[in-house]
Amino acid sequence: MILHELARRMDLERLVDSQDATHEIETGYVGDLLSHVLASAKSNSLWITIQRHENVVAVAQVAGLGCIVFAEGMRPEAPVIERARNAGIALYVSPASAFELAGRLHKLLHTEAP
Amino acid sequence: MRTFSADLHIHTCLSPCGSLRMSPRAIIQSAIDRGVDLLAVTDHNTAAMVEVVSHAAAAAGLDFLYGMELQTREEVHVLAYFDRATDCLSCAEAIYPLLPDVPNVPDAFGDQVVVSLDGTILRTEPKLLVNSLDLSFSETLACIRRFGGLPVPAHIDRAAYGVLAQLGMFPEDTACQLVESDADLPPTLREMTRMCSSDAHYPEDIGAARTHFRMESVSIVELERAARGEAGRFARCQCE
Repeated sequence: MILHELARRMDLERLVDSQDATHEIETGYVGDLLSHVLASAKSNSLWITIQRHENVVAVAQVAGLGCIVFAEGMRPEAPVIERARNAGIALYVSPASAFELAGRLHKLLHTEAP
Repeated sequence: MRTFSADLHIHTCLSPCGSLRMSPRAIIQSAIDRGVDLLAVTDHNTAAMVEVVSHAAAAAGLDFLYGMELQTREEVHVLAYFDRATDCLSCAEAIYPLLPDVPNVPDAFGDQVVVSLDGTILRTEPKLLVNSLDLSFSETLACIRRFGGLPVPAHIDRAAYGVLAQLGMFPEDTACQLVESDADLPPTLREMTRMCSSDAHYPEDIGAARTHFRMESVSIVELERAARGEAGRFARCQCE
């Protein structure tokens, strides 16, 4: 599903837009330990995390994750947003928990996809 | 007895997050300019720069401890200090295979270069250094001690990579005499002693936070004795 469509239907607040209007999300990944995300996340996942350290952007780049969603209102600081903008990583935030966000994503990708 | 103005948490240009300006000479010059007379370089999961910086420190008459900043499986950062280069290098050699085979991507994380005294690049470290060793927090402390080192949990008050944020509390079986924290220690950790350091990634940050250690000589045993306040010794934090 296209990221913009997903974000709208998951009710996410956008912090940094994707540079690709047709940015496609294939699956999701939930994780806060950056080393584990690096080792395990599949590319083109929507990454849901409460980790706000600046390294999230580098990890997303290397793991091929084009979009990070910060759960539980974990709003990243300005340098993280700036870095994501430069790296072309989309950022969203939501007050919902990672459990709730993963549930919404799973429903959209697996029960409503054509 | 002497009071040392110590900054024991400094990254060199080898740490991907460390500025390429963090050459041995630049580190020592900044330490001198800022009145730091005891320093340790603590790169992420590597000791490949400790010897060259120790030579620069010795030439300038500064005291030096050999160090690293290890990252545990739970993403807790633990500083490790050694009296002897050989112990530090042996520990580094032992942990290297426990670092995942994930290559560094300089555009994302930064460059990882080993340099000579004057800053000439000698080699590039291929594995990503800011990654977790396949060791738990308690295994990491034990590993450091096995090589004769002193483990000091790093920036325990920070939201990322500190033991309290990552594990929720200080595990009961992992007592440490000395911990690094920018803030006063919580009441539950009152038996521990706090030190603070700059965690410098740029030359101008060296000494921005430091600890005054009053002790007999420079050694990890003396650091611990200062932490315990033994016989007139002390460890006092100074943050700018």
